Amino acid sequence: MSSNAIVVVSWGEGRDGLPAGAVEVLTLGRKVAAAAGADLAWLVIGPASDKLAETAGQYGVASLERIEDAKLESFAPDTLVAAVSQYCESNNPKALLFNQIEETRQIAPRVAGRIGGGVVTNVIDIDASGDLKVTATAFGGDTNVVYELSGASTFAIAVNSTALVAEPAEAPTNPAAESVSVDLSSVEERFAVTQRPQAEGPRLEDADIIVSGGRGLGTPENYKLIQELAAALGGLPGASRPIVDEGWIDSSHQVGLTGKITRPALYLAAGISGASQHMAGCSAAKVLVAINKDEAASIFRYARYGIVGDCLEILPELIKAAKS
Amino acid sequence: MRIVVCAKEVLDPDAVNNYALAGRLEIGDDGKTITQSAIPQLINGFDEQGIEAALKLRDAGADFTLTVVSIGSDQKSLLKHSAAMGADEIVALRTEATDLDASAVANILTAYIQSSGGADLVLCGRQASDDDQGVVPALIAEALGMALVPIARDLELKSDTLSVTRVTADGDEVVEGAFPAVVTVSNELGDPRFPTAKGKMAARKKKPTVVNVDELGLAAEALAPKVKLTRQFVPEIQGNCEFLTGSPADVAQKLIENLRAESVIQ
Ligand SMILES: Cc1cc2nc3c(=O)[nH]c(=O)nc-3n(C[C@H](O)[C@H](O)[C@H](O)COP(=O)(O)OP(=O)(O)OC[C@H]3O[C@@H](n4cnc5c(N)ncnc54)[C@H](O)[C@@H]3O)c2cc1C
Repeated sequence: MSSNAIVVVSWGEGRDGLPAGAVEVLTLGRKVAAAAGADLAWLVIGPASDKLAETAGQYGVASLERIEDAKLESFAPDTLVAAVSQYCESNNPKALLFNQIEETRQIAPRVAGRIGGGVVTNVIDIDASGDLKVTATAFGGDTNVVYELSGASTFAIAVNSTALVAEPAEAPTNPAAESVSVDLSSVEERFAVTQRPQAEGPRLEDADIIVSGGRGLGTPENYKLIQELAAALGGLPGASRPIVDEGWIDSSHQVGLTGKITRPALYLAAGISGASQHMAGCSAAKVLVAINKDEAASIFRYARYGIVGDCLEILPELIKAAKS
Repeated sequence: MRIVVCAKEVLDPDAVNNYALAGRLEIGDDGKTITQSAIPQLINGFDEQGIEAALKLRDAGADFTLTVVSIGSDQKSLLKHSAAMGADEIVALRTEATDLDASAVANILTAYIQSSGGADLVLCGRQASDDDQGVVPALIAEALGMALVPIARDLELKSDTLSVTRVTADGDEVVEGAFPAVVTVSNELGDPRFPTAKGKMAARKKKPTVVNVDELGLAAEALAPKVKLTRQFVPEIQGNCEFLTGSPADVAQKLIENLRAESVIQ
């Protein structure tokens, strides 16, 4: 790979077998590479789907680079940081683009720190016509900020891909898969996993329909209305942070900036005010429905359908209507 | 053993939310700073939970000194609050610089930690509620050569290892490793305690250690921002909300019909 490339960095397998958010970030990466007059590379680490090469071609990747190592069969942060840093040292890319999820949020800044690069997260757009300029969200999304990136040879950029739409390239490419050699023999994970997460069924991130409840439900018992409506619609139940903090439901259900970033076809929010930090996790929904007794609630600004009223009266009716 | 908590002062995020909702969030003439003087400054909530995490370790019998450190030009109230919660030592890293980026902040905190006897455990909030970046802890970990354990809801000191329950997308995960380490704390840890009257009294007597950032011996490039804020603005939210009206049964019926007609649900 020539130096100064724009490199999308991925690992893991999402719903379609490809790394989560990869095609969205590749779409942005292609635009950035074109504006910067640079090559677009895709660095895929660890085991990967056999659709990789085809997808790389569809999305206009000039060079598909693979790091495979027995130590990278599953998420291993110290090893990943070493692998990506070694890659940077020999290839000197201009930017590393990551799809922002919890894992990349720890790897991107560590790589930047290791190689003396810069790092920025929550990015929603990149302008590469001159020095790199990125637009990111701040205050949960209440504001957007523009950062100018200069003074380092490589920048690690975590992109919030839920706001991006994947678009294949007009002219597909035929990238050869190159194997990148890294030496990970001396790297050991400093913290060992002693108890793995017990994933309970489908994840909110992958759900098509989400019904979420907030403090407006009043009491923990009323959360069952959310669960029932979610079940009746064939979706999953979500929650705002306060009711997770109160222990009404466990934190794997929290939607928002510091919870799950979702992109369902339908997001129904009951008794949720619509604070920016909550909306950061659901505003990419295709259709957002809000039920709130306060007609001035912020959530209605994002909603496609709004119902002003008591969610404790409306949810049972919705459950009935959904079942009929 | 020494635990260092890094804490940042931020604009009250709820107040920022309220101003934004009312359409009255003001960006100053420089085009990048929120200027409402009515928005109070307070300790970043996740950092306060970092202090709480340390105090929980102390409640569980661990023996250590707890240092809370903050960068800025005036951190008096943040540090007093930290002392009132139970910090043994409060440290103000003074600078008038307003353009520090995350790398510069991490370099300053790293230089302070190294020059003050090091740390066995560095606790930080998972991210700051103003810029939401969440990268300083990882940068400190790299600069100090320490392991990073992000998004903790619970910490436990074993004889000479640290066990951390982390919140992940797939549920809780427990990891264990040796000191030193940088751990970031999330809201799942639980609400921080209120300072007691006794704590407040003790805090009144506690003087912050003041260190000028210039004295830390950092090279100019360690402080030069690579990520420069040039603009801040309030994004437009496109609202096209259609309100459904009628009795609860009516609105429920209408909503389900609309969603079915649009093939959003079956
Ligand atoms: C750094 C940071 C990160 C955060 N991360 C997240 C996050 O990831 N996820 C998240 O959700 N929050 C997050 N928050 C918190 C966020 O700012 C809000 O405080 C939170 O989302 C509010 O939750 P809520 O809407 O349930 O409660 P409230 O804001 O209290 O709103 C309750 C709503 O219910 C309505 N209501 C009351 N009774 C009824 C009724 N009977 N019927 C119908 N409506 C009713 C009220 O009108 C109100 O609008 C974060 C905050 C910070 C500072």
